[in-house]
Amino acid sequence: MKPAPFEMHLPTSVSEVVALLDEHGDLAKPIAGGQSLVPMMSLRLASFEHLIDLNGVSELNQVSVNGDSLRIGAMVRQSTAEHDPQIVKSAPLVAKAIPHIGHFQIRNRGTVGGSIAHADPSSELPAVALALDATIEAVGPNGSREIAAKDFFVSTWETSLIDGEILTGVRFPIWSGKCGFVVEEVARRHGDFALVGVAAAVQVDGSKVAKAAIALFGVGGTPVRASEAEQALIAGGTSADLDAVGNLAAMNLAPSDDVHASGEYRKAVAATIVARAIAKALKEAQS
Amino acid sequence: MSRNITLNINGAQHTVDVEDRMLLSDAIREKAGLTGTHVACEHGVCGACTILLDGEAVRSCLMFTVQAAGHEITTVEGIAPAPGELSVVQRAMQDNHGLQCGFCTPGIVTSLTAYLRDFPNASDDELKEALSGNLCRCTGYMGIINAARQAQKEIQGSAK
Amino acid sequence: MSGQAAGRYVGQSIKRKEDPRLLTGQGRYVDDVQLPNMAHVAFVRSNIARGKITNLDISEALQVPGVIAIYTGDDLNPYIKEYWHTMGGPRPALDDPSGAHPPASVLAPGDVRFVGDPIAMVIAENRYVAEDAAEMVIVDIDVEEPIIGLDMAVAHPEMKVHHELNKNFSGIMPYMEVPPVDEMMASAPHVVTRRFKQARATNVPMEPRGIIVKHDRGANEITIWSATQNAHEVRSFCARLIGFPAQRIRAIAGDVGGGFGQKMMVSRDEAAMMIAGYLLGDRPIKWIEDRRESLIAANQAREEWVDVTMAVTPEGDIMGCRVNFLEDVGAYPPGAGGGAGMSAGMFPGPYKMPVVIPQGTSYFTNTCGKAPYRGPWMMETVAREQMMDHVAAEIGIDPIEFRRRNIIHQSDLPYTTCTTLVYDVVTPEETLDQAMEMLDLAKFRAEQEKARAEGRLLGLGVGVYIEPSAIAFGILSSDQANVRMDENGKVLVALSSGSHGHSIETTMPQVIAEHLGCDIDDIIIMQGDTASAPIGPGTGGSRTAVIVGGACQTAAGKLKAKILEIAAHTLEANVDDLEVNDSVVSVKGTPAKQLPFAQIAAMAYMMPEMLPEGMEMGLEVSARYKPAGSFTYSNATHVCTVEVDPKTGMVKILRYIVSEDCGQMINPMVVEGQIAGGVVQGIGGVLFEHMIYDKDGNPLATTFLDYLVPTAPEIPDIEYGHIQTMSNSLGGYKGMGEGGAIVSPPTVANAIHDAVKHLGVHPTDFPLGPSQIRDLLVHAGAAV
Repeated sequence: MKPAPFEMHLPTSVSEVVALLDEHGDLAKPIAGGQSLVPMMSLRLASFEHLIDLNGVSELNQVSVNGDSLRIGAMVRQSTAEHDPQIVKSAPLVAKAIPHIGHFQIRNRGTVGGSIAHADPSSELPAVALALDATIEAVGPNGSREIAAKDFFVSTWETSLIDGEILTGVRFPIWSGKCGFVVEEVARRHGDFALVGVAAAVQVDGSKVAKAAIALFGVGGTPVRASEAEQALIAGGTSADLDAVGNLAAMNLAPSDDVHASGEYRKAVAATIVARAIAKALKEAQS
Repeated sequence: MSRNITLNINGAQHTVDVEDRMLLSDAIREKAGLTGTHVACEHGVCGACTILLDGEAVRSCLMFTVQAAGHEITTVEGIAPAPGELSVVQRAMQDNHGLQCGFCTPGIVTSLTAYLRDFPNASDDELKEALSGNLCRCTGYMGIINAARQAQKEIQGSAK
Repeated sequence: MSGQAAGRYVGQSIKRKEDPRLLTGQGRYVDDVQLPNMAHVAFVRSNIARGKITNLDISEALQVPGVIAIYTGDDLNPYIKEYWHTMGGPRPALDDPSGAHPPASVLAPGDVRFVGDPIAMVIAENRYVAEDAAEMVIVDIDVEEPIIGLDMAVAHPEMKVHHELNKNFSGIMPYMEVPPVDEMMASAPHVVTRRFKQARATNVPMEPRGIIVKHDRGANEITIWSATQNAHEVRSFCARLIGFPAQRIRAIAGDVGGGFGQKMMVSRDEAAMMIAGYLLGDRPIKWIEDRRESLIAANQAREEWVDVTMAVTPEGDIMGCRVNFLEDVGAYPPGAGGGAGMSAGMFPGPYKMPVVIPQGTSYFTNTCGKAPYRGPWMMETVAREQMMDHVAAEIGIDPIEFRRRNIIHQSDLPYTTCTTLVYDVVTPEETLDQAMEMLDLAKFRAEQEKARAEGRLLGLGVGVYIEPSAIAFGILSSDQANVRMDENGKVLVALSSGSHGHSIETTMPQVIAEHLGCDIDDIIIMQGDTASAPIGPGTGGSRTAVIVGGACQTAAGKLKAKILEIAAHTLEANVDDLEVNDSVVSVKGTPAKQLPFAQIAAMAYMMPEMLPEGMEMGLEVSARYKPAGSFTYSNATHVCTVEVDPKTGMVKILRYIVSEDCGQMINPMVVEGQIAGGVVQGIGGVLFEHMIYDKDGNPLATTFLDYLVPTAPEIPDIEYGHIQTMSNSLGGYKGMGEGGAIVSPPTVANAIHDAVKHLGVHPTDFPLGPSQIRDLLVHAGAAV
């Protein structure tokens, strides 16, 4: 299990990265933490003539709050995001999702931006980005642009980034008031890809649910936003029938089978864990 | 493509010729001759190849050697305070029969060393979760978990 | 019932001598061996389960810079002289009605027979280049319909994996008509029939296979470094394979990173390395199996079905059983590969069964071959212990009471089973009692009832078994220890066995130090190198404590006797009046009259005048030990409690209790380590691990993301109870290396069954992952 030959490039700025990608086109691939990419290369499921290493690009390591959003630079390590006080405070759903990603050694190297750009449909952070209506920042040959999370995830391992473009950061809206944030998943073992999982956030105001955000992962080619379930929860308030909310969230899913679970299992369990996640989130918000 | 780089491993400089594609685990073993870092899956799951990169536990099979230049690498050979001695974690592993065949052991020693340094007050469940990134097929984990508990107590004690 | 008092060393949890080396990265495993001028191997493997190779083109691959040679089946297979393992014996004739070995080949002989089948081997300057070239070898295969799974093998006896054979099984125990038994069964008050299925698993040693072959033409010697459980088999297999004098072959195991049976025998890939290394000459070649290869092509196990029919009286007395063992041995097991014969003998286990009529077939399929895996016969316990719960449920009695009613008591010993095994010193009832005491059954049942009222599912599983440890027949009969006290009074020991995690650098010195009277730190163990090791079968069948231990104890005794004779002569005392403490011989009651071992050793080698007349100089003894019986029985009871999530099907193990009798424990810490390791492998086999194939014969668990080895958070703290009854083997030791893996699967399965049986769910098939459990609940109408 050894990767095919390639040339590694070690740029130190985003502009250098963009220039290298422009120069090498299809033959090049940016590498962030590499925790998904390197195994695929070692298994020879993927090969590239050029790798553009983002690890030396320090401008991608920043975390900052600008008004009502938290910006996490693409190369911020997952372990940093898990424990960074600013992230824990401003985007608790991000921090809570991260312990579910692999193992701490993986999170020490893996990055927030890498996980989102890799767009594995079983991953936590894409679902968090989708649930929270995050904004993806990208820089490419035509300059920088912003992409709404709902427009970012196209299919398994495919995003709306165009050739030569890299993800440079993600902005998460900061929720205020009485909120609850929960990531719930069913995985065969601790740290495994979720058979099915949910990222959920609620904001309550007395017995009202003012805001609700629910996104499922492990249930299709992309993370899936459960808008109808959110509406039902807002309509029903803190005493909403959570099983019904869960069923609404799962209703239109059509997950596929794999060796670990049937699609039917994923769909049924999606309803269960949405209900459980919302219950926990409401409890947290009300405490 | 290959290049000449210098790796800083356990405080010593190793200047090596490596292909760009060479995995760091292979360079540590074959170029620097430090065979304590074991390769057991090469896809980042088993944890046997775990090293410390600037003090943080990472999989050496999931990095390319050229990415490690300029960073400080610590392998299992660099954990004990002195030759012939054992670190707190290593001694706890021996005291609690935390190893049988020893193949997964280097990754457990490096991982626990870093984890307990950063999270000396981790709960028992958190300790077990921290160990979830290292597969062991011999011990059934009991000895390893008990070793982690003992090392944690010692580290907490010495911090007081 | 309690054992002998622990000695100074035997019975103590001595910290392991091997640990400081292994903890500091100083172990020496096969991949750590770097030889000058060494070349590296990558195999080209089939991605088709069955088909004819219509085109095999290596020309482009040969052009890759750094490629040294590429061999195919046509290049290597003709060099095979003989292909058989010492343990299995020479190959049966192709038309032998009782069974078969797969036809001998080291690389695919013109056709492929499983996904992973080695087709060609690339030898290059390094593994990276070898893999580059392997990708460029062109293989065209005319795909044929494979035999996948026992369903298909049973349904299509006319299909054959190996066209060279006249049958598609490696072994068979035919159906036997036994009219009295059939009449009894026909008229019995209760007759229950079940089919239990295990899921295919694989051993997963953390160190995959690996081998270096160096043929020194000048010296006419072959040296092999191998990740093996049995260096001698590597040597003798290689000698037979290529027709080379065994005495000119040296096989070295060094540190071995686990095996669990997978490394007992030489595999085809390794045999290919032997031939290629021999042919290449002077350029040593190294193959380190990567994990994908290990999961696809290193031998697997546990694809087994057991059909049990049990007749029982209304009171719950077992009247008799018919048992049919069906196993899938894949395409290329080493030898016949089956475990059904042994399973048949062990089926009665700890219970008094008046009659058991066995039957069995070991089918070839187009999948990876079957090899031993920790308790290769364990399907008997897996089936029997689940059957006890299913029958109890069927006739409406408590499964623990059902066991008690049929279990073998002390007053029954020695007990001869209906399968003619003789249990001399076993304690199944006592371990059951101890385990139940540790559990507090009443408390658990109360919790279970309370939980059920809340819609939660708790369950309790019990498993009892007898382990036929220290299997001692054929090449497995004996082991040897050569114990040499050097002229400085320190001890060097060469053992016929080797360790791949067995702690023998600690436990065997414990035995020797105990019986010689020296300090344990004065003993160094050499192992796993045929240049120094006496002949032996390596590890397997839980033999080390009993058989190697017996050899160590005997040798230590012989050496001590000679030391005492020399001391008695010098001290002018009777041997009977001497005692040994801390490597010093002294006269009882007159401690001033003493001689340290170092002084006696110096006399033995350098002062012939100090020795009794006629005594041979030197202090070197050897002892070969064979236990009196073919098995030394140990036993245990396991208890497990679980919670099943009715919505997700997830199982959480709450408690895991083991009460074990392995006779005199040499090192309780090591005993508990062996138990835990086996238990967790067994848990894996029920809840997580499944080496699954699709209908075309593609393995679907080819990485550690899909082949799920249990990790620390999945494991409860295991609770141990020990009962020590002395076996009739030397030292009172009993083996226990496999038991943890043998009985944990049915124990966990029984706990799940207990949690859901009131819902009408009676699981029989592994794995019991969340998806499977939820499906069972849905089918029973207990979940939506």
